[in-house]
Amino acid sequence: MTFELFIFYVFATVTVASAVVVISSRNPVYSALALVLTFFSCSGIWMLAEAEFLAIVLVLVYVGAVMVLFLFVVMMLDINIAVLSQGFMSYLPVGVGVALAVVAEMALLVGSKYFGADIIPPPERHVAEYNNTAELGNVLYTVHMYAFEIASVILLVAIIAAIVLTLRKRPLTRYQSPEKQVAVRREDRIRVINMKAETEE
Amino acid sequence: MLEMFQTVWAIVPMSLQTLIVILLKIVAIVAPLMLCVAYLTFAERKIIGHMQVRMGPTRVGPRGWLQPIADALKLLMKEIVIPSGSSKGLFLIAPMLSLAPALAAWAAIPFQDGLVLADINAGLLYILALTSVGVYGVIIAGWASNSKYAFLGAMRSAAQIVSYEIAMGFALVGVLIAAGSLNLGDIVRAQEGSLVHWFWLPLFPLFIIYFIAGLAETNRAPFDVAEGESEIVAGFHVEYSGMAFAIFFLAEYANMILIAALAAIMFLGGWLSPFQGIPVLEGAFEWVPPIVWFLAKTSLFLFCFLWFRATFPRYRYDQIMRLGWKVFIPITIAWLMLVGLAVVLELPWWFD
Amino acid sequence: MLENYLPVLVFLGVGMAIGVLPIAMGFLLAPRNPYSEKLSPFECGFEAFEDARMKFDVRYYLVAILFIIFDLEIAFLFPWAIVLDEIGMVGFIAMAVFLGILVIGFIYEWMKGALEWE
Repeated sequence: MTFELFIFYVFATVTVASAVVVISSRNPVYSALALVLTFFSCSGIWMLAEAEFLAIVLVLVYVGAVMVLFLFVVMMLDINIAVLSQGFMSYLPVGVGVALAVVAEMALLVGSKYFGADIIPPPERHVAEYNNTAELGNVLYTVHMYAFEIASVILLVAIIAAIVLTLRKRPLTRYQSPEKQVAVRREDRIRVINMKAETEE
Repeated sequence: MLEMFQTVWAIVPMSLQTLIVILLKIVAIVAPLMLCVAYLTFAERKIIGHMQVRMGPTRVGPRGWLQPIADALKLLMKEIVIPSGSSKGLFLIAPMLSLAPALAAWAAIPFQDGLVLADINAGLLYILALTSVGVYGVIIAGWASNSKYAFLGAMRSAAQIVSYEIAMGFALVGVLIAAGSLNLGDIVRAQEGSLVHWFWLPLFPLFIIYFIAGLAETNRAPFDVAEGESEIVAGFHVEYSGMAFAIFFLAEYANMILIAALAAIMFLGGWLSPFQGIPVLEGAFEWVPPIVWFLAKTSLFLFCFLWFRATFPRYRYDQIMRLGWKVFIPITIAWLMLVGLAVVLELPWWFD
Repeated sequence: MLENYLPVLVFLGVGMAIGVLPIAMGFLLAPRNPYSEKLSPFECGFEAFEDARMKFDVRYYLVAILFIIFDLEIAFLFPWAIVLDEIGMVGFIAMAVFLGILVIGFIYEWMKGALEWE
């Protein structure tokens, strides 16, 4: 077994094990953290496939951003753990059914005569100077420009949806606006009036 | 002695040899880094002390030079209190999660031409990804402590870190456009020429924004609302004591040095001599090893970190969010487009 | 390419170890005599009341969601930035349109007051 293969099996084991923890842990915070570990080891596997850019972006986007949101939600929503862990047995048959279907599909695909190491050879190893990011960039913004622009529209929809769904105005909160503070002039605040001096009678 | 070493070395299998070499290189990076962290805390107390017309620490060792060692020993001998009602495992994992990325990011930092542990193509992306992982230490520490101050501090800090990460990411993209590579060594080589070839000049707004975002990312004054002593005591690490606290401290300072080193690499030409291209001075300073310039530039930024802490009053939280979203993001996007246009049109003399 | 990433993997491991080691040493060397007052969460001298993990303002979620979107945008900018030399004006216009559409979203955010932190 080569060293690379060894690393692959380490990552693969961690991925599967942490994925099991994600669905079996009773505490949602632990589940979320196990999911972080799953993403990490997935990124390791992608790296072994020499998808350098995608591997690091997986960490940047999923671990660094998406899971932070998940943690925010799980930590702050005050989820009742007891209620969440109920009904495990009643959902079990459905879950097992779906799992079996997926296994059957995979068996059909992997076991077919169109699949296997002898039909689809493993991709060639690249030299140290191989630049995955540049390869991607060269096609993404030219050949796949249309898909790329669609992506920005999807992101725009996401921005608008997020705002519409979560933004609540609370008229009672008070706050200062610095630009107004800076723009204040003396005349707005002070009125000098002429008063007659008071005299003792 | 040397022969004996060579024979022993020859017996060691090849793969183990590579591993040992890598480990030795890592020690050669981490050990000086730890020393830097220790003496950065000392420098901080001395410099801010003198700025406020005090002496700073003077008692331990000659002129106080052994103070950081004494601090470390003291923290080592203090009890690690694990508060009741906390999640024990997470409570102890949190400091580790904030330290590991802060250290591992150093793998891609070039100290000199060719002097880098992992010369990876996606160097800058790797560092950005790792620093974005650092936020977990903060969130988990705050949640696991089961303390209101810690929780509040963690939430504030997390929202602040993610907000400024966007501005920082955009600023980094500006550097990439100008350099045309993600590799940090290539970024420095792209600045070859002279002082005015360095990216601080064409990317000046991004340079300033990067450094300010760096201050906010590391929760340093004036953006230290996460641990604002007068409001929430110490923020996310209020329940930590002894060595567990020391790890957070280490991570914060290692991150500070990282931000400073990155600023030196991306905007001030890394290991390049500032006298390049100047007729007489270039020759006069040729004997200086390039790594000295790199360290000097990094120290300059570190001094700014301390200087700002002594100078500016703390920002209010809404002002911090306003600065990050409403000021930095529009400026960076606009400047990115300008720099992109300059590169496409091949404007001299940074972009040709 | 992969050989360049081996040091990174080792460094991540070493980073973890450096995090664990001092804490383990702390547990070995430091005294330990906990009692309930010492272990209670810090609360400025009050008795700690209720669970510290409370509900939080929805604004924090909004920041996190917007952060994801902008982070993705940055991920799209990275490959573009390094090949801009090669793809030239076509690539520049593609990105200008991309950013333009997202700036519309940003302006919407701004006008709606989603960036206002009250």
